[in-house]
Amino acid sequence: MPGAATFPKGPLQMDIILSGQLLFSALVSGALYALVALGLNLVYGTLRLLNIAHGELVMIGAYTAFWMMTLFAVPPLISLPLAALLCAGLGWLLYFGIFRRLLRNPDLAARVEANSLILFYGISVILQNTTALMFTSSARGYAYLGNVITVGEVSMTGNRLLSLGVAGTLTIGMLLFLRFHIFGWSLRAVIERKEAARVVGVNVDQVQVITICAGFAVAGVAGVLVSMTEQITPFMGFPFTITAFVVIIVGGLGNIPSGILAGFALGFVETYGIALTSASYRSILIYGLFVTVLLIRPEGLFSRAVKS
Amino acid sequence: MKRRNFLKTTALAVTLSTFAAITAQAQSDDPVRIGYSMALTGIFSQAAPSQINAYALWAEQVNAAGGLEIAGGERRPVEFVSYDDQSNPANAVRIYEKLITQDKVDLLAAPWGTPMHLAIAPVLQRYKMPMVGNTAASVKLRELEPGYIWFTTSAIPDAMGRELAAFMKAEGVESAAILTNELPYSQEVRSFLIPALEEQGITVSVDQSYPPDIKDMTSVLVDVKSKEPDAVIALSYPADSFLFAGQAKELGVEAPFVLSLVGPTFDSYRKAFGAAVDGVVTAGHWSASQSDWPRAKPFFDAYLAKFGEEPDALDTALSYMSLEILQQAVATAGLDPEQLREAIASGTFETINGEVSFDGVQNAVTPTAWLQIQNSSLEIVWPDSIKTSDFAPKQGW
Repeated sequence: MPGAATFPKGPLQMDIILSGQLLFSALVSGALYALVALGLNLVYGTLRLLNIAHGELVMIGAYTAFWMMTLFAVPPLISLPLAALLCAGLGWLLYFGIFRRLLRNPDLAARVEANSLILFYGISVILQNTTALMFTSSARGYAYLGNVITVGEVSMTGNRLLSLGVAGTLTIGMLLFLRFHIFGWSLRAVIERKEAARVVGVNVDQVQVITICAGFAVAGVAGVLVSMTEQITPFMGFPFTITAFVVIIVGGLGNIPSGILAGFALGFVETYGIALTSASYRSILIYGLFVTVLLIRPEGLFSRAVKS
Repeated sequence: MKRRNFLKTTALAVTLSTFAAITAQAQSDDPVRIGYSMALTGIFSQAAPSQINAYALWAEQVNAAGGLEIAGGERRPVEFVSYDDQSNPANAVRIYEKLITQDKVDLLAAPWGTPMHLAIAPVLQRYKMPMVGNTAASVKLRELEPGYIWFTTSAIPDAMGRELAAFMKAEGVESAAILTNELPYSQEVRSFLIPALEEQGITVSVDQSYPPDIKDMTSVLVDVKSKEPDAVIALSYPADSFLFAGQAKELGVEAPFVLSLVGPTFDSYRKAFGAAVDGVVTAGHWSASQSDWPRAKPFFDAYLAKFGEEPDALDTALSYMSLEILQQAVATAGLDPEQLREAIASGTFETINGEVSFDGVQNAVTPTAWLQIQNSSLEIVWPDSIKTSDFAPKQGW
């Protein structure tokens, strides 16, 4: 066998595939994907903005956690609300600085999707390079909750468990909020029928500003979680933007619950797909799913077809 | 009228004499301009600081010492002329052409990365401008026509494969799991490592490649763990080196010999994992604790003082070495490209990595070596000729 050009890997034994270890990993990645995609989906759903700079918000969250930890020994758990506030503030600035005006003008609002793509591309480049200028592009990292906790046969690093806890709570919390809270209803109304929502008395402007702030804040929170386990660089955001787009397209653009489900689905496809085939198939599996969904169910894997 | 003429003449005379004075002064204060392109943005940009910092430190030290000594004893300050190549080799080619033909720089320093070095080598050849390369490593470097480019590295994949297999054998490794990033450098190392392991009689129990954007290695590492190999060799890049360390620790993948290819020499890697990564072996041939290299420790201390973090034992050390070599060659040969080329090709240089001389394009002196993290410092543990510490089997994470 050694010396062979390739070394085809047989599937793992069934007991490994059914073990809690893989389930834990799939849940950790899934929850993170769901969380990152949630922010993007909120902003797209309510404002029809294609936020290509979404990953940069994750990066800002990661740097917030890194500097708070390094300079002031403030643990990431406390940086979570800070990063959320910082990113929400950025969302607020963008909304009142740019988008409110664009969305109010019907001509501009009609083109806002395409325009926002270019605008956010610019914002993404500015954020990346400003960060690189301020902090250099050296990779950063810090140690937090690196201890391993073993429950039964499953080993979990403290920071991954925390990441799962926070991301899981936030995504499930958001689902419940949309289902049961009056503001959640308004938000869904704005996503589904903006004009009708306005007619029945929903304050669309208010819903939009809160949603963009919330969407940005969620990305900042995801960044704090990511910073505990990955290296932090000014250019770390782009892969998250791509993953988030894959997730929300698989789930159905603007459909919040489906997007969350799709995030978890992607985590499972990645972990179990690699276990059943090989790590080199990761991209094929993920983009294969993406293309298949676009071909077979372009409205999204978990969406009910929209009747028009 | 007369008065006006007088004023004019005086003004002219004053202007001319000032001019003359400036020109005379320029002879010695005119900085030596050193051009380079760097991947400041794009996919390789994360690597740029470790190289730019080395350049900045070197220039600061040279200028503080009164300037760059040019054959004949004259000293002139140095300054850099640099452009962003956006991690694109084609841009690097254009930039080096511009540096040589339009900016007319006196000297050249290297860009970041193997693809850039390979791309600009023909430009150096065409314009007959010498450049000491640094952050490049591939067997393809040897295919370059020798003459105007040299490489300070000894981490060339074929020698690395051979030396790693010998090192593992010497430490009693009988079986190994190999995980390889799909990027070219990792794949190249793997292609030489596998036959070398076979030659040493070491069994390969897992051999898996994974994409650079991998986010979860659990299923791969569960497989590795179940095979219980003596050595786990992750031919990784920085991002996945972080992932590998975190998840190998989580799963308790315990082997006496654990290697992660590129990443552990970063200050941030050791800061992120602390004592957990003690015992991890990695690629590199420089350590601040090698007392046979008198320049090593002062460089380490100066870097730490200036940037607040440890120099990357791979890229930063290579970059600094390349400028030390250039500096010593200029001191003997001056700025004439042909004489400089001759001096670099035939000279022997004192660097932070010990003595260096070239054979063709390659560093002919520095042996291919392996580092290990011991008490959060990087020690050379292989080969015996330059080692600073004995290999210590990894004790868990």
